[in-house]
Amino acid sequence: MVANGKEIDPVGRQICSPMPACRINLLVLPFQVIAVPIKQSMARKEIENEITLTMNGSPVSGRAGMTILEVARENGIDIPTLCHVSRLPPSGVCRLCVVEVAGSRTLVGACHTPITEGMMVATHSPKILAARKILVELLMASHPDSCLICDKANICELRNIAADLEIGLPRFRARKHYYPLEYENPNIIRDMSKCILCRRCVVACQDLKGERLFSVAYRGFESKVVSGCDQPVDKEACQDCDECITLCPSGALRRPRRPGEERAKKALFIKG
Amino acid sequence: MPQENIVLKNCGVIDPRQIATFLERDGFQALEKVRREMTPEAVTDEIKASGLRGRGGAGFPCGLKWEGTRKAPGGEKYVICNADEGEVGTFKDRYILERDPFTLIEGMAIAGYTLGAKTGFIYLRAEYHHLFDLLENAIRQIEEFGFLANFTIEIREGAGAYICGEESALMDAMEGKRGEARYRPPFPTTAGLWGKPTIINNVETLMNIPRIIRNGAGWFNQMGTERSKGTKVFSVSGDVPKPGVYELVLGSSLRELVEGLALAKNTKMIQIGGATGRIVPYEQIDTPLTFESVLGAGAVIVFDQSRDVIDIVHRTMEFLAEESCGKCTPCRQGTEVMVETLARFHRGEGLKKDLKDLADLSEVMTLTSLCGLGQAASNAVTDSLQHFKDAYESRVAGN
Repeated sequence: MVANGKEIDPVGRQICSPMPACRINLLVLPFQVIAVPIKQSMARKEIENEITLTMNGSPVSGRAGMTILEVARENGIDIPTLCHVSRLPPSGVCRLCVVEVAGSRTLVGACHTPITEGMMVATHSPKILAARKILVELLMASHPDSCLICDKANICELRNIAADLEIGLPRFRARKHYYPLEYENPNIIRDMSKCILCRRCVVACQDLKGERLFSVAYRGFESKVVSGCDQPVDKEACQDCDECITLCPSGALRRPRRPGEERAKKALFIKG
Repeated sequence: MPQENIVLKNCGVIDPRQIATFLERDGFQALEKVRREMTPEAVTDEIKASGLRGRGGAGFPCGLKWEGTRKAPGGEKYVICNADEGEVGTFKDRYILERDPFTLIEGMAIAGYTLGAKTGFIYLRAEYHHLFDLLENAIRQIEEFGFLANFTIEIREGAGAYICGEESALMDAMEGKRGEARYRPPFPTTAGLWGKPTIINNVETLMNIPRIIRNGAGWFNQMGTERSKGTKVFSVSGDVPKPGVYELVLGSSLRELVEGLALAKNTKMIQIGGATGRIVPYEQIDTPLTFESVLGAGAVIVFDQSRDVIDIVHRTMEFLAEESCGKCTPCRQGTEVMVETLARFHRGEGLKKDLKDLADLSEVMTLTSLCGLGQAASNAVTDSLQHFKDAYESRVAGN
């Protein structure tokens, strides 16, 4: 949306108005103009590693090893993601962060593609927006229609992004998953019918906690994040770290709510 | 253009259990030539000059792949032969492995010499378990004759997943993980098996290597079209009186293969490249078989007038949905939605808006999927929508 603090992509602004992150960016805009010279002088010091590329028509720079997504976020361009978490290695499964790179036959995932010198990237072209919209519609098609009573409805990233992309009723029809609720463990409730297979919990458990409680089983549309051989989460192994629960972008993982405890946040403002 | 036996030169002539019969037919002369006269650079230059492209379906220039892997930093490198011939309707690799395992191993040894690799792997499809002993016997005999020098070849067996024929999923499977496509970059040339630079080639590609080395890039370069050199082995099946394996010079017309050799009659359409392949209606039967037009892995399935397009496309999509690894959204959800939509058309309950939705979904799957499966899954739908739109429209509910 903002590249080098100079330009606002009209399309970018249009699509992400209800997102808190974007609002902050818009507010921060005047300060970023001041901040730019400082950042450039810092970059000059590391001139050897500096890579310049074009994003949405404006020149931006990053350091070797950075991904397109990191550079975009550094420059205030909002690319939606469902599987990416900045402190975890990219898994590139949700495909929502796809961007257009000149010379590439397909759209490339911004979260895992490293930047190269002279790269020409478009992050919000009509082609990309249409693709993102269909991807979220595909996810919504097999997502249960239980938002009204969902514990995470007000902090659900999937719902947030769907609202952002102005998706109403999904145009595709797909089966829905009906898995029994897993509440055997006192620290975590898993409702795998709501899982969108972003695999954040799999990676988080492994990389942040060194445990390997979760893995993916079955294949294709039947894929499911399971614990062990598709058993309830082990009471001994899962030690109430909440890491996966806070990262879960949908209502699939949640803490058992204690009596009297309130919901995590106030109800979400839905546009339109 | 004529039928040519280059890859299949020894098939049916030698005894695959006896190395002596192979040596009579100039066996291992290419490997000897490489070891005595050529530097690794000269080998990759020769392959590059030959214009050989990968025969597994994607058609990536083989020389570039080898050069990239050779130049990639890292001491340990690997060679993998992809013998996980899972594509629907292909059986050419099985035909080759059954009849001439020696040339394949010679090709792998040349790749190993080029990289300075110590280990090569043959990833054998689970269904080809009966070839395990034959291949192991061939490797043992070659080792006894001392042709492999410091290079060892191991056979790894698959467990029956279609996706594991995709190179990155294959490597995941070999590493003992769940076979799933990886995102790229990094490409296998720099980070393949166990994160090491890896050459991964189809059986047929590796079969071409000894021929190119022995006869020179110029000889190979003469065959084929401008961007597709050499020959291609096709597996022809379906409604034909003479199904089987045929080798043709690239650029030959589809008619020559289907009607000339396999003697097909009353053809309605031809699916080239298996489940993820393209559908060619009979009107376009004069299409040349090249990488630029249609080719894939060389599976040619012929359907006659009695077949129903929607039925074929629906069953193709059911197969792909079943075999999708489920990692990325467009492939996992997209194939499922397509199966649902096509099933409705199959029952005659399609909706008018489905036609546009299918086209839109096809495009997004092609653009955003992680690997070749998702990217090519919608080919059959796209092509049938283009060539057989009547079939869809007649199944719209209320018609």
